[in-house]
Amino acid sequence: MLRRRVFQFFIIYFLFIGGLMVLKYSLGLSDYVVPAPSGMFHTLVAEYRRYSLATLNTMFVAIIGQILSVVMAFVIGILGRQSTWFGSFIKVAAYNIQGYPIVALAPILFILLGDGFLTRLLIAAMICYFPVLLSVLGIMSKPVDDIEHFYRITGRMRWQLEVKIRTFENLTQLTTVIAGSATLAMAGTIVGEFIAANAGIGYSIRIALYQSDLSKILIALFLIGITIAVYQVLLELLGLAIQRAWTGR
Amino acid sequence: MPLICDNIAFTYPEAEHPLFTDVSFQLDAPGFHSFFGPSGVGKTSLAKIITGDIESFSGRVSTDEFQTLLYSHNKERLPGWSGVGRHLTRVIQPSMHLDKDRLVEIFGLSGCINSRFDRLSMGQQNRVNLVRYLLQDCDLLIMDESLANVDELTRERIILAIKEKFPDRYFIYISHNVMEVAKFCDSILVFRGNGKIPQTVMVKGCNIGQGEGLSRTALDATLLEIMNAA
Repeated sequence: MLRRRVFQFFIIYFLFIGGLMVLKYSLGLSDYVVPAPSGMFHTLVAEYRRYSLATLNTMFVAIIGQILSVVMAFVIGILGRQSTWFGSFIKVAAYNIQGYPIVALAPILFILLGDGFLTRLLIAAMICYFPVLLSVLGIMSKPVDDIEHFYRITGRMRWQLEVKIRTFENLTQLTTVIAGSATLAMAGTIVGEFIAANAGIGYSIRIALYQSDLSKILIALFLIGITIAVYQVLLELLGLAIQRAWTGR
Repeated sequence: MPLICDNIAFTYPEAEHPLFTDVSFQLDAPGFHSFFGPSGVGKTSLAKIITGDIESFSGRVSTDEFQTLLYSHNKERLPGWSGVGRHLTRVIQPSMHLDKDRLVEIFGLSGCINSRFDRLSMGQQNRVNLVRYLLQDCDLLIMDESLANVDELTRERIILAIKEKFPDRYFIYISHNVMEVAKFCDSILVFRGNGKIPQTVMVKGCNIGQGEGLSRTALDATLLEIMNAA
């Protein structure tokens, strides 16, 4: 799975680079606008270590942000699953807030908290939180009647059991949502870094942008793509392992 | 009377016509009773009215002498995270574990007790589901096609075992098998086809128990009565 996913990313990335080269040579664009392959290679050799560390730094923030958002989404999703006024309030609030572009709030966080680790973490968590929350709310609010009926009428139903049944029955969907939210967390962190942080690959891209150095940006995109592909595969494998252990299949 | 239904009428919220009207019957003794009739005439709805799952009906249902009424149906599932045996052990009181083992044997489930629910055949799934309901503390158990997909011989063995082991309990068995309800049930509430009045007729069944013989004439008479009523 890992090899296939990385290979797929290589195909897409090099098709994109190929497209850029076709554009460069067909329109006669200078190396300043679109660098030549040799220039990109030189940049890769020169910046590889620094950009890899910056990407890992961003990934680290994204992973912690994602874990935070998944935990928060489960807590709120479980609390909001019931058809009480509180549950309805949470659902309405979640549906309305998720329609708002969270990234637009990033400048406020930078003003209030500065451009350090915490701000990047909060932005990453906030950006992947709402999509995960909506999925968890949807899953937790939907009864699995053919299993839950027995527990309800015999008075055995507890909230823990209800959550366990609904999680078990929707394990594949939850795994997909959590794996998918990795991209959102990474995107959130990069956007945050791009706006005002002092570290991470988004920050490096911002510097490269100021220098109008497309080579550096393309190298950064390459490293981001590889890192996300590997992380997503790891999440999917973890999800499969959990499914196998729990369902016995 | 432990169970009285008097002039029950029910219409689905969006439906133009009532599903049934003026349904009256009573069950005055424990044992195996049945709702019989074609699909869609309201057997399940009436069962849910009796258990209180449907409240928007008119008429009177009296179940004052019952403390616990349970409704089981053939589409229920057990959670898939553990084996069937482990699940049964958890939901059945420890004092009933010996009965559980006996029922598992009678129901022909000994070979699949360690399997997960989704690995069982539909007939096995229904039998496992019925075992856990039978061993709950209840006064009335409604079995809505609970033995669907089970072969005839095993069904017969199971029904006779239930009648023998739970003589003080009321059962309402919803089935489409006319021979089965005629042979084993004490009373059979026959739901008649659309447009017939009254919509239900109560027929006396042969109500045979474990080791009891069945007169062919009595069975034929009951079958005839049921078919005429339907």
